[in-house]
Amino acid sequence: MRPILTLAGKDFRLMLRDPRAGVILLLMPVLLVFILGITVGGAFDPNKKEQLRISVLNLDAGLPPDAGPFPGRPWSEVLLEDFANTADIRVELIPDRQRAEELVRSGERAVVIVLEPEFSSHLQRSSFVGEPLKKNPINPLYRDGIQLSKLGVTVVRDPTQEVAAAVVEQVVQVALMRVVIPWMIGQAFEMIGTPPFMDKMKNYVPSLHLLPGDLLKSIGDAMQKGISGFFVDYDFRGKTWAKLTKSEPPPTKAANTNAYRSDGSGAIRRGAVRYQALVPSYTVTFAFFLVLVMGWLFAAERRHGTIVRLNAAPIARWQLLLGKLIPCFAVSLLQGFGLLIAGWLIFGMPLGTRPELLIPVVICTSLAATGLAMLVAAVAKTEQQVSVNGTLLVMVLAGLSGSLMPRYLMPEEMRALTRVTPHAWSLDAYAQLLTNPDPQTAIVWTACAVLCGFGGIFLLIAWWRMSVEK
Amino acid sequence: MTPEILSAIDVRKRYGQATALQGVTLSVARGELFGLLGPNGAGKTTLLSIVSGLLDADGGQVLLDGKPFRRANLDLRRLVGIGTQDLAVYPDLTARENVYFFGKLYGLGGDILRQRAEELLTAVGLWDRANHRAGTFSGGMKRRLNLAVAVIHSPKLLLLDEPTTGVDPQSRNLIFEIVRKLNAEGMTVIYTSHYMEEVQALCPRIAIMDKGKVIACDTIGNLLKLRPNELRLRVEDVPPGFEEQLRTLAGVTAVQKMPDGVTLTTGSLGPLLPKLATLCATAGVTPTAFETNESTLERVFLHLTGNDLRD
Repeated sequence: MRPILTLAGKDFRLMLRDPRAGVILLLMPVLLVFILGITVGGAFDPNKKEQLRISVLNLDAGLPPDAGPFPGRPWSEVLLEDFANTADIRVELIPDRQRAEELVRSGERAVVIVLEPEFSSHLQRSSFVGEPLKKNPINPLYRDGIQLSKLGVTVVRDPTQEVAAAVVEQVVQVALMRVVIPWMIGQAFEMIGTPPFMDKMKNYVPSLHLLPGDLLKSIGDAMQKGISGFFVDYDFRGKTWAKLTKSEPPPTKAANTNAYRSDGSGAIRRGAVRYQALVPSYTVTFAFFLVLVMGWLFAAERRHGTIVRLNAAPIARWQLLLGKLIPCFAVSLLQGFGLLIAGWLIFGMPLGTRPELLIPVVICTSLAATGLAMLVAAVAKTEQQVSVNGTLLVMVLAGLSGSLMPRYLMPEEMRALTRVTPHAWSLDAYAQLLTNPDPQTAIVWTACAVLCGFGGIFLLIAWWRMSVEK
Repeated sequence: MTPEILSAIDVRKRYGQATALQGVTLSVARGELFGLLGPNGAGKTTLLSIVSGLLDADGGQVLLDGKPFRRANLDLRRLVGIGTQDLAVYPDLTARENVYFFGKLYGLGGDILRQRAEELLTAVGLWDRANHRAGTFSGGMKRRLNLAVAVIHSPKLLLLDEPTTGVDPQSRNLIFEIVRKLNAEGMTVIYTSHYMEEVQALCPRIAIMDKGKVIACDTIGNLLKLRPNELRLRVEDVPPGFEEQLRTLAGVTAVQKMPDGVTLTTGSLGPLLPKLATLCATAGVTPTAFETNESTLERVFLHLTGNDLRD
């Protein structure tokens, strides 16, 4: 064991004194992730869909106790459901007012819609009819649509993004109209023919005073039926847009409503979600740049003639290889964990719901990378060969695997081809752990097993190649 | 304990179609300072590689310290130190780190390693530069460090392959001193070099290899006898009977008539010169020039290996 540790210690020292290793393995990936994150990082977000985001702060206190049977839940839920069920819209729920104001102030959101605590009670009071038929009625309608302030809706707006804010506001107007107008129409039409309605009618048709109560009720019912029969395409008592228009209610799209996810909690407050794709992509790509560092170490032993001394020393070949392998593996682990921590600290990348499973993924990826590095070191003789062939190999594998560009942009047959690279398996595992809220551990463990297989095969070939060379 | 530290018996080695060693047999006694000479491609480096455990022979046997030696025998490898032809130190490690690293590889540690490293770095004149990286050293300093690294584990047999290539005279002299000192302390040294005068000055016994074989192996004195001294006497006219008179001179082994004089072959030039002067005077011969061609290792080497250029 002692010769192995002696060899490993020496190589560690040499690597620490060679700035190339640090630059290639740590600085370059962080720099690339930073630059790509700023420029085209959004494209790397696997969850990204071309949807209009409506950011909502829901402070609604709910319906008053005397609200009646409809809608049976807070109006804010009805409105949010309407948003979510609308094609190409997704709702983002902001947790508190402070965050909402920060997001707008920082320009990250053009507008945040705040449903104030009184939203449900005000909407419940919305009515075409006044006192005494409706207690404390509110008429939210005006020339341009819905008067948001009357319903307890506040719009927090970024003045530098007027156009984007206007688009969102118009969407909110339309959605509110779909909610408020059927409710107001429904209440109004339910009232037609009711005793209070008929009492009011007596002011305009005095002869109604002469009719007995039974007949008056029959007239009222007939008015209801008459209107329904006259406007056969509508149900004026429906109270929802679907029922009013007698159309199928839209399919429920609960997935279109998400809690706000910070995309700027790190030192660089910019789009954290994109880093869940960018950081693993470049962590995996640059993990395999270990082939350069290790290849250079081997080539340097040849160039400096020290390989002769090592071969003549009283150590077995497996000890020599292990002594070389350990520091490279350790550096690879350091790199893998270092980049994930950098992603978390610098870019605010969330580590997913099972961060502990990142440990085996990093270890297995490092094993595969170390195996490939050993293979390249066994084949390439000079530092120039290592640089040229190693870089070519790493870049081709990265390109094939989908590390350099999102795999969902690849044609189907190319996606299948990515499986021939260890990178793709590593990316699968990272994708599960970083972007799937409920990671499939079977996929993670399968990927780990395949990565270990890759590492083992690479090491065996390297061992065979070195034996032949001997 | 056998008297020989190293015995090579009919050692053979091929690289594909090329034969590197075709039955090398030689032995080196304990404590000997042994020279190994040969033109390029003679098989010296292959033989040293086999003896140092870098290669295994295809045939024959190498006995190290009286035991059969193969590459897999790690314990016997400890007995050998190699001073490689190419420098073999880490330029990014300091002199001390280089010595420590190889010392630890050979199982040294603690105070023993520290003390040995200090002794050696002092001996090679690098103690004051012990914490400087080897990459900053001159060629001579690197060579001296290379030697220190080779002997850090106090090997019984030190193989030095061209240890003075590209060094200044001061460093060369220091290397000679160290080699002599190590040898005086009991370390057996096999020394190869293209500088014949170095080998002649250092090694009492020498083997000359050519084309994968040992073509001569003897003491310096005996080897020099293979190519005796010559004395060339230039005269305008050689009188009749003068050649016969020369042959009668004690110590003269051969006389050859040349267009501009005669060439005498002799074992020792010193006693011959006064007698030759007397003979010339009595015979009325006036020499225009005397040229001596002393026997040297280089002449012996060229005599044995020929003048053909080697790849």
